[in-house]
Amino acid sequence: MIGLWDTTGNEVVKALAAERRSAGGVASGLALTLVAVVEEKKVREAEAAATIAAAAHPCRLLIVVRSDLDGRSRLDAEIVVGGRLGPAEAVVMRMYGRLALHAESVVMPLLAPDVPVVTWWHEDPPEVIANDFLGVVADRRITDCAQAADPVAALRRRAADYAPGDTDLTWTRITLWRTLVAGAFDTTDERVVGATIVAPEKDPTAALMKGWLQSRLGIVPKWEFTDRSPRMHSVELQCANGDCVRVTREENTALFSRTGQEDRYMPLPRRPVGDELAEELRRLDADQIYSEALGAMAGLSDLDKKPPMRVHVWRDPALAARADEAAGAMAGPGGSAA
Amino acid sequence: MDHVGNPLRTAQDRRLPRIPEPCALVIFGVTGDLSRKKLIPAVYDLANRGLLPPGFVVLGFARRDWGDGDFESLALEAAKKGARTPWREDVWQRLASQFQFVPGSFDDDAAFDHLAATLDDLRERNGIPGNAAFYFSIPPAAFPLVLNQLARTGMADNAKSGGWRRVVVEKPFGNDLQTAIALNQLVDEVFTPQDVYRIDHYLGKETVQNILALRFANSLFEPVWNSKYVDSVQITMAEDVGIGTRAAFYDASGAARDVLQNHLLQLLALVGMEEPTSFDPQEVRAEKLKVLKAISLPKDISKGSVRGQYLQGWVAGERAVGYLEEKNIPSDSTTETYVAVRLGIQNRRWAEVPFFVRVGKRMPRRVTEIAILFKRAPHLPFDPADVEMLGHNQLVIRVQPDEGVVLKFGSKVPGTTMEVRDIAMDFQYGEAFTESSPEAYERLVLDVLVGDRTLFPDAAEVEQSWRVIDPLEAAWADTKPEPYRAGEWGPRASDEMLAREGRAWRRA
Repeated sequence: MIGLWDTTGNEVVKALAAERRSAGGVASGLALTLVAVVEEKKVREAEAAATIAAAAHPCRLLIVVRSDLDGRSRLDAEIVVGGRLGPAEAVVMRMYGRLALHAESVVMPLLAPDVPVVTWWHEDPPEVIANDFLGVVADRRITDCAQAADPVAALRRRAADYAPGDTDLTWTRITLWRTLVAGAFDTTDERVVGATIVAPEKDPTAALMKGWLQSRLGIVPKWEFTDRSPRMHSVELQCANGDCVRVTREENTALFSRTGQEDRYMPLPRRPVGDELAEELRRLDADQIYSEALGAMAGLSDLDKKPPMRVHVWRDPALAARADEAAGAMAGPGGSAA
Repeated sequence: MDHVGNPLRTAQDRRLPRIPEPCALVIFGVTGDLSRKKLIPAVYDLANRGLLPPGFVVLGFARRDWGDGDFESLALEAAKKGARTPWREDVWQRLASQFQFVPGSFDDDAAFDHLAATLDDLRERNGIPGNAAFYFSIPPAAFPLVLNQLARTGMADNAKSGGWRRVVVEKPFGNDLQTAIALNQLVDEVFTPQDVYRIDHYLGKETVQNILALRFANSLFEPVWNSKYVDSVQITMAEDVGIGTRAAFYDASGAARDVLQNHLLQLLALVGMEEPTSFDPQEVRAEKLKVLKAISLPKDISKGSVRGQYLQGWVAGERAVGYLEEKNIPSDSTTETYVAVRLGIQNRRWAEVPFFVRVGKRMPRRVTEIAILFKRAPHLPFDPADVEMLGHNQLVIRVQPDEGVVLKFGSKVPGTTMEVRDIAMDFQYGEAFTESSPEAYERLVLDVLVGDRTLFPDAAEVEQSWRVIDPLEAAWADTKPEPYRAGEWGPRASDEMLAREGRAWRRA
């Protein structure tokens, strides 16, 4: 491990190359570069998750922490190859001051050549991804609306801002639910005529589940709000012949009930973020089913026809917040440029 | 199988895993080694990954006077020891509640009637519409008995049960062509041929499946994958262990029947086959079968093959006894523990390219790999002294351990002279990668339950493989294997076999 304080982007590139050489892994099977955008207090959490994900997808991990935008421009970096962060080669970068607005100037030279870039926001998702160059440069973008103050509103935001290649971890969280529900219809051709979801009003997973059922089945599922459970509680599908399939969450298991059959329990564990991230990294192309579910949920159509490439739109938070001081602040990043 | 009608599934939704229909897994010989080490852990791992259907029951059949409880504790121990995924008590509790033990011997009609009744019972109690897979984790000698019992009770009958009935057979698939045909006929008669799954666990390994991806997804390798560029191919399966507790079986079969017939010929088929028109099981099997049919044996088997038997020696810092001193091995045994053979493939692609296949026990280390050795460049514009250390370009597919691919090519040694030497570029499929990729049995058990036959050799392949082995065995009948010291790369005769044509074994 190498720690660099008050350093420059060039020094970081050199240090990473030196670490790789001394670690002996001359040729390694890098599948992608994972850029994790994290706030300071979640760095450990993001590291733990990325370590799990890197076990399945060898990657170069670039953790970017941006804080104290008003302070002096400064870059601290920590380079880890092997060891603490598992098989990943990782650079944890803390950026302060105006440099934080130009994080890409440090990150771009560190991207592994010609492998896909995935950017993951382990914090409140950005309003508009085009404003964050770290999102524009990525082939895949992973947000996590559950971390927003109003997750369902954040999801709607994601729909409006959608570009193919975006996904949200809320979607990943219902893969197991979807598996159970879809599995119920493998052995029957019964038509589904109605659905009821019981979940808290602010639950983004329920919103996506509703959107998914709506887009796949052409029905409008009911959403019953509940306060009893902190997360999605149950999904029930009604068939044309009166049969009913219901999946109810009980701790780490799901109670699977179906008309005319004995109730059964199936595993429905809450997976660590690392497992969810690994699932996301498995596919680096656009998830069309997600875009349909998201579109149905937000009432927007043809999301998958939007252009997959974003164009960076410069937005200065200082400018927005304090219009008067803006002119001075535009002077540029203090000393971060390579 | 997927219903065409399920609106919740589409091909684009690749997150949703394949989940079998509600079904029962019936394990014969559930208390045996394979079942405890591989099967039960695989079932637990599948359950833990949420890949088993809501209605799933394991019926264990074995000859023991046991209650369900005893069986459960054996299964618990086995699952805990062998599980790949983290241990979760609630998953196990639920799975274990669906375990049932049916005691009985294979000639006990009442026990099989009881088993049939239990299966029928599941229809009402667990919503399992007659689907069941029968896993034969038993010695081959017992196959006919069990199959006849299944036929007698009608348990193997798809129509009668109202669902699918499949059977899973482990190697050995017979002992020679004749016994293999007899066994295949028997199994195919009781079950229908497409319901028979022959497990060759090598085909469940990620790297083995990756051979097809490597060959057919890239444009880099296929143009040179032929006799114009390939000098020879070496397939090695080395084990550092001895015969362990399998003395009786091993001494009756030997290395060729034990692994050459199945694992290695399957690897050879995957490396040598033409591109299948699609990855439909039928198509892949058709191409594999063509290669197997095109295999040619050495004209003079005594010159083109070497059998070996290990003497005592040291392996990995420990003393190892010789084969003849192993427990329950007759001291005059002529069974081989090492085989090397020069095979050819009679088609346009591989004409004149020798395939050297070797397998051995008590080798220096455990490794399975396929090495493609390319021809030297037609012209080397260097001073002969400068390229003395330049060998064949090689592409090595390492199957186990440390799954990966190695590319070996010439490169200039830094300095003022133009000295060219071999370097190896080693792509580790990642030790960590392998960690999270499913165990071969996990994959294969799931494939059986889902009904995907891609990774299972069919009867024709098995029989064709025996057609390769039988003439070898016939030629070896009255010969004694060459001795080699435990911890060596086989007998000297094997090195000489390659040296005669100016080649050498790659040190694996």
